[in-house]
Amino acid sequence: MIWLALTILAPLGAGLTALALRRAPEAIALIGAALGLAGAIALFAGVAGGTDITASLPFLPDLPIRLVASPLTATLALVVATVAAMVLTYAAGYMAQDPERPRFFGTMLMFVAAMQLLVLSGDWITLLAAWEMIGFASYLLIGFWHGRNGVPGAAMRAFLYTRTADLGLYLAAFLLIGIAGTSEISATLATTGTPALIAGLLLLFAAMGKSAQVPMQDWLMRAMAGPTPVSALLHSATLVAAGAILLIRTAPMLPGGALLAIGIVGGATAVIAGLMALAATDLKRLLAASTASQYGLMLIAVGAGVPIAALLHLIAHAAIKSALFLGAGVFQHDRESTDLDTLAGAGRTRPGIFAGFAVAALALAGLPPLAAFYSKDAILAAALDSPSAAWLLPLALAGSVLTGAYMGRALKVLWSGTPEKPHDPVPLMAVGMGVLVALAATLGLVFKPLEAMLGAHLAEPGWIVPAMGLAVGLAGLALGWLLAPARLLGPLLAPARNGFPLAGGMDALVVRPTLALARLCDRLDAWIIRRVVLGGIVAGTQALSRRIERAEDSLLALLNAVGRLNLSLGLASLRFDRDTIDRAIFGLVDRTIALGTRARRLQSGLIHREMALTVAGIALVTGVLLAAPFYF
Amino acid sequence: MEMGRDLALLAPELTLAAAAMLMIVAEMFRAARLVLAIGLAGLAAATILTLPMLSVDATVFGGTYRIDLISGWAKLILLPGTALSLLLVRAEIAGRPREGSVQSLVVLVTLGALMLSGAGDMMVVVIGVVMTGLGSFALVAWPRDDAATEAAMKYLVFGAVTGSVMIYGLTFWFGGTGSTLFSELGQLQGQTLVTIAGLIAIIVGLGYKGSLVPFHFWAPDAYQGAPVSIAAYLSVITKAAAFFAFAQVLRDLPRDGGWPLALAVIAAATMTYGYLAALVQTNLVRLIAYSSVAQSGYFLMGVVALGASGFAVPGILVFAAAYVAMNLGAFAVVLLAGRDLGDLEGFGRTRPWLGAAMVVFLLSLTGIPPLFGFVGKFYLLSAAVEAGYLWLAIIGVLNSVLALGVYLRLMVPMYRTSSTEHPSEVGAVLTQGTVVVTVLATLLIGLAAGILPGP
Repeated sequence: MIWLALTILAPLGAGLTALALRRAPEAIALIGAALGLAGAIALFAGVAGGTDITASLPFLPDLPIRLVASPLTATLALVVATVAAMVLTYAAGYMAQDPERPRFFGTMLMFVAAMQLLVLSGDWITLLAAWEMIGFASYLLIGFWHGRNGVPGAAMRAFLYTRTADLGLYLAAFLLIGIAGTSEISATLATTGTPALIAGLLLLFAAMGKSAQVPMQDWLMRAMAGPTPVSALLHSATLVAAGAILLIRTAPMLPGGALLAIGIVGGATAVIAGLMALAATDLKRLLAASTASQYGLMLIAVGAGVPIAALLHLIAHAAIKSALFLGAGVFQHDRESTDLDTLAGAGRTRPGIFAGFAVAALALAGLPPLAAFYSKDAILAAALDSPSAAWLLPLALAGSVLTGAYMGRALKVLWSGTPEKPHDPVPLMAVGMGVLVALAATLGLVFKPLEAMLGAHLAEPGWIVPAMGLAVGLAGLALGWLLAPARLLGPLLAPARNGFPLAGGMDALVVRPTLALARLCDRLDAWIIRRVVLGGIVAGTQALSRRIERAEDSLLALLNAVGRLNLSLGLASLRFDRDTIDRAIFGLVDRTIALGTRARRLQSGLIHREMALTVAGIALVTGVLLAAPFYF
Repeated sequence: MEMGRDLALLAPELTLAAAAMLMIVAEMFRAARLVLAIGLAGLAAATILTLPMLSVDATVFGGTYRIDLISGWAKLILLPGTALSLLLVRAEIAGRPREGSVQSLVVLVTLGALMLSGAGDMMVVVIGVVMTGLGSFALVAWPRDDAATEAAMKYLVFGAVTGSVMIYGLTFWFGGTGSTLFSELGQLQGQTLVTIAGLIAIIVGLGYKGSLVPFHFWAPDAYQGAPVSIAAYLSVITKAAAFFAFAQVLRDLPRDGGWPLALAVIAAATMTYGYLAALVQTNLVRLIAYSSVAQSGYFLMGVVALGASGFAVPGILVFAAAYVAMNLGAFAVVLLAGRDLGDLEGFGRTRPWLGAAMVVFLLSLTGIPPLFGFVGKFYLLSAAVEAGYLWLAIIGVLNSVLALGVYLRLMVPMYRTSSTEHPSEVGAVLTQGTVVVTVLATLLIGLAAGILPGP
């Protein structure tokens, strides 16, 4: 109980203190993170014996705030606390020059608290509240440098994408609560049959938004506008993990149909996001696309019915990807850019950091004995044994090859080029990154005991799967190191670089409403009038035409590759999709604005007209009342 | 004996009436501070006297006035709300002429609101509507400028028309049951036309008080013309009282008359219209006025579910408590920041604590967990679903998306850098005190919602 409280409240208290005092935020943040980590370790030790620690605080009648530390949730809490502590250590160095440090550390800590609440929640309502809070905190963090060009737009985009997907979580939670009659998560997992299928698909939708799965991957690439520690914490190990965590926790309930859908979404993301990472021209965007791709691999494991493999990969990935982001942050610190062309040779400048980056990269590619070697093998084995192996195994293998390829490419770019003199030593940043690299290298050792503690048993791998995993990893690395992406991807390069506008059709559903919201507000707001009406609408129209042009380009590229088969059909359906969706959304926006204006016009200030409207209202109510008895 | 029991049960109301009279006396000596002190003491005493009576379920004076769960909690919500409003009034118009009159009128209007909340009889409802109305007209007209005069005039004309429709319609119920008591309304079973006539009366009369669409036209003008503190007061106290009265009247009416459907339609129209109109306002007071019109639609969801869901009455009470706290708080911040949307520019940066409080109020108005407003909306949505009005609940949820748009328009500019000055004004201490109390209520009561009445 006390450890549960400490895990959640220590970061929260430290965050509020940092915001209130507005001085020494780094020290407060590190103390808060350390206390949170201590709580998480104690929790982990407490549940290692096999008994869950639970707490239930009165909130609403029949709706307490339930917290539960089971082996699964305590492990996740430990992962979150560890990564948070390291990233905050690093951030103390990275943000040293920023005048807004109290706001940064305060928001980061509040995010950590919300994330721990989410991980440890034993109740759907608590989980929903935490889910909302991490979404809101991530909006604030991505938009931290809100003065910079394009940043507010990126934050808004991330917020809208994930909020759209949140609808799935709300519906699923209410469905499960309605059927089970309780909001306790463990009790609702007994749901079976069609409700479980529907709930599973709704949860998948929610997870797709948070974990940036195709076709909702776009926001994650743009979220890189935030400070690098934010990317390392939120967009590798925590926020993005929420989707996968949701599916891992509800896996016992999911029926075959939902599992297949999860596996296929995951597989598609592993490949498509992998291609995007390979084509990326910016190191942080490369890592972001890689994150989406790795979560795709985890979803494959959930879809294959082995959520434990997904959990192991989640843990390994958390350490690896945050280490990679932190490395990228050091290079960014040196060259003041994350553009791959600018970063050429940045690794030679700082061999120590580069070595750490390389260890993490090789770990992600799945080389033994590094952490992801074991977890990726577990995923491949799961895909092989699954009833839908015909779907899942090729996708998992393709995802693994691509992992090696884009990591190989990143290493090559960072290594080959002219070194420059390093600016200054970065001790704090190196410490934070070093611990994570060490974890990335050695975490594989704890997987066996962890499996035992979670009561799960993975099949002995034999030799085929490890050999396969190693082969694809090495093949990928070699391809990425030796061949330029243009050679490797051929006609796929352009669409991959643009984030697959065809596959990314969600953009039309989600981002246009962003514009819509802005346009709704613009009528009144001088700032928005400057930015959106003059800048935005013009830019928006240009962007729209550019997007259409781009979509056309990629279509042509596809044509050259595939041939002219089915051209007219594909084109027509694409047009139909784009045009109708656009028209529907713009139509809706226009109607809403018109309605709002009309609502204002009704309020004319002329009392006789308003009285007439009131009388008309009375007549309407009378009509309804007179008609109603006939329907009862 | 009977009389003595009745008077004992009426102790809070009598205390408040006595305090109001004393306030008028003190105002004759132009002792504005004394007026305020008497008012606050009276409100505090009445609140304390209410506490032991929360579990009482009785009627006084031959069933015409009810001392029950609704009226008990109504006092616990309205009396502290009025006390906070008095502080805001003091902060805004301290030292100006007729300050004490305004204070005593506020307390008298609250007395009318208590009448509405405990009404067991048609005549008590009429008295309550008239008492709250007459006082409010004068309060709106207080600044004596063109805008206030016009707003008060409009408010008066609307009140006169809707009031006469209400009294006329209620006579049908009297004809149908032979009694003015609401507890006799069960006898209306089968008399469709008579039921409808009385219902229209109630919907028009109380709908005007609660600013439901299409009886809301007076509200934005009145709030804009009146002092901000009076707008804050009218938007919470008289409105909440209207919905308590709705609950008192309609819980005795057979549900088969189709009135839940009619009210559901009004609820849907009210929340949608309110937020749509709020989206295009530039004046902060008008914007909050429209947003509180929209909140009336949520209140009405609880009324729709009366008699069909255990969540209905607790929903109205809990949401009322939340609404009083968050709306008063938002108005208090407006009082400090200024009446125009542009005045909020950079406000959160220059006044970080007040900015954070405003964000809490706005998020709570949107209904984000775990704030108090969420708890209220959660009860009301549950009530609508349990009563079989799933479509209304869905419209309610969709409207909270629209609400986020409305409130983000306030939150975003607050954290922009700007050169706008935000000087502390005279009386800021009282206003800030009100903000502190309301923000604590919004933050903490939501977490401790177990103490509130449940289903």
